[in-house]
Amino acid sequence: MKVPTLRLSPNVLKLKWPLVTTRIKRFIKDYVDKSRMKGIVLGVSGGIDSSTTAALASLAIGGKKVLALSMPEEETYNATDIKHIKMLAEKFGFQIETIDISPILRAYYDSLPIYDAQEKRGKGNLKARTRMTCWYYYANRLERIVCGSSDKSETMIGYFTKWGDAAADISPLMDLYKTQVRQLAAYIGVPDEIIAKPSTPALWPGHLAEEELGIKYEMLDLTLLGLENFLAPEEIARQLKLPLKLVLDIKARWLANEHKRRAPLTTKLGYRTAGKDFRLPYTS
Amino acid sequence: MPEKVNVALAQISCKVGDKDHNIRKIERYVKQAKKKRANLIVFPELALTGYVCRDLVYELAEPIPGPSVHRLEAIAKRENMHIVLGMLEKSSKAKAVLHNTAVLISPKGFIGKYQKMHLPTHSVFEEKRYFRGGYQTPVFDTSIGKLGLIICYDVFFPEITRLLRLKGAQLVICISASPSVRRGFFEVLTTARALENTMFLAYVNLVGIEDGLQFWGGSRMIAPSGKIFAQARYDEEDMVVTQIDYSDMDRVEVFVPMLRDLRPELFDSLKKQAENL
Repeated sequence: MKVPTLRLSPNVLKLKWPLVTTRIKRFIKDYVDKSRMKGIVLGVSGGIDSSTTAALASLAIGGKKVLALSMPEEETYNATDIKHIKMLAEKFGFQIETIDISPILRAYYDSLPIYDAQEKRGKGNLKARTRMTCWYYYANRLERIVCGSSDKSETMIGYFTKWGDAAADISPLMDLYKTQVRQLAAYIGVPDEIIAKPSTPALWPGHLAEEELGIKYEMLDLTLLGLENFLAPEEIARQLKLPLKLVLDIKARWLANEHKRRAPLTTKLGYRTAGKDFRLPYTS
Repeated sequence: MPEKVNVALAQISCKVGDKDHNIRKIERYVKQAKKKRANLIVFPELALTGYVCRDLVYELAEPIPGPSVHRLEAIAKRENMHIVLGMLEKSSKAKAVLHNTAVLISPKGFIGKYQKMHLPTHSVFEEKRYFRGGYQTPVFDTSIGKLGLIICYDVFFPEITRLLRLKGAQLVICISASPSVRRGFFEVLTTARALENTMFLAYVNLVGIEDGLQFWGGSRMIAPSGKIFAQARYDEEDMVVTQIDYSDMDRVEVFVPMLRDLRPELFDSLKKQAENL
């Protein structure tokens, strides 16, 4: 029998969390210092990713330099999430500003001739992009950077709004799968209530990630880890006892969403081209 | 030639693309090393420019010797110090012929250079896109011993260190820019290279963060027995100064006589097999 190169079990997703914490904190501080900006702005929803990011940012540069923007809107308002954000801020010492974006959204709805209240995707993405414009407004006004909260699971399958919730200057969790973020959150002391909550992008009422994706994060993450490690879909399905079609669908989704992860595509016309062979380092 | 040499392992972080800034930092470390009675100070791979330079390599690379080497020569002379460091080298014949190079400078001036042979072009590395691999494996017979130079990924290939040892190297200096996820590989291989050749190996790694890559430091001096007897901190800028005694090699060579037991006929076979992978 052929021995697989990687055995897909929850154990392989365990990392040395003290070391990971140190590296992420160092990364955040280094970027803020080199950018010569005064701190961090980030959006917080009360969910696991943004809570963990806000906590790590506070541990890295001090809570006084971290401004968390809580941006509820009337359709998806959740009092528990607001309570969780306050609880987390008290524990990690970051600042909160709450902005009800409902009036901004209503202005969009009233202004867009093709607006359709029943259509979910465009409306949901509009909410995410509205929040993003506010983060960058605050970042400009306060001379701060925007810190994103995207994790590796949603980045790989494109489960985010293009130029919306994933828009950021840095994304410290982007190389950790969702189930790894949960472990990291527990290590740094994010309250259990936040870790245990079902994940939701909250783009419409009752919006739950695992329900929409059709798979539990525990299985999704191991599937993605297999793809990351060049395992064949057949091998992943065999090891995880998943239907091959499900693994193939996840792989297709991963590939189809490359457009969300890259700079805009252009066609090559010049000597060196942005996004292709214009290869410059970060020098500040 | 002295039996004992004091070596400073200077793991610095670099400002990417800013040679002037980096040379000033190098000079500060040379002065500190001098106070600690070092005869030789070693800096990381591409310490002059930082590691992740991407397309800036074309404007940052210099002939060797060239302007930056001349500045380093002046520092070496002033502080009476031998210096090893990594820098981008530009061919005098063609703009696109660059090398990832280690230079050796003595208090009397430039001694020589080594051009990296094994260029990693996988994972986050893209060296073959920019560099031509070297062909020479010089051993420098200096007033502080017979020195061989290798660079980072070269340490994965035992042939090159073995060759330097067979040419008489007593101390092989491996300068490096190794990101943190690869630490385990280097910790094993640097020890193996020292032990299997019963010689000293100085490993000096970059620290700091460049393009999201975190370099892990952990520079070390390894004895001919494989024992790590001086080590710098992980992940932070640091310098350790340690003394090596070349006479230690004699004792270890008798206890584990690998050079005596070498079988040259295997090398012919190795060559044939390597050509038919």
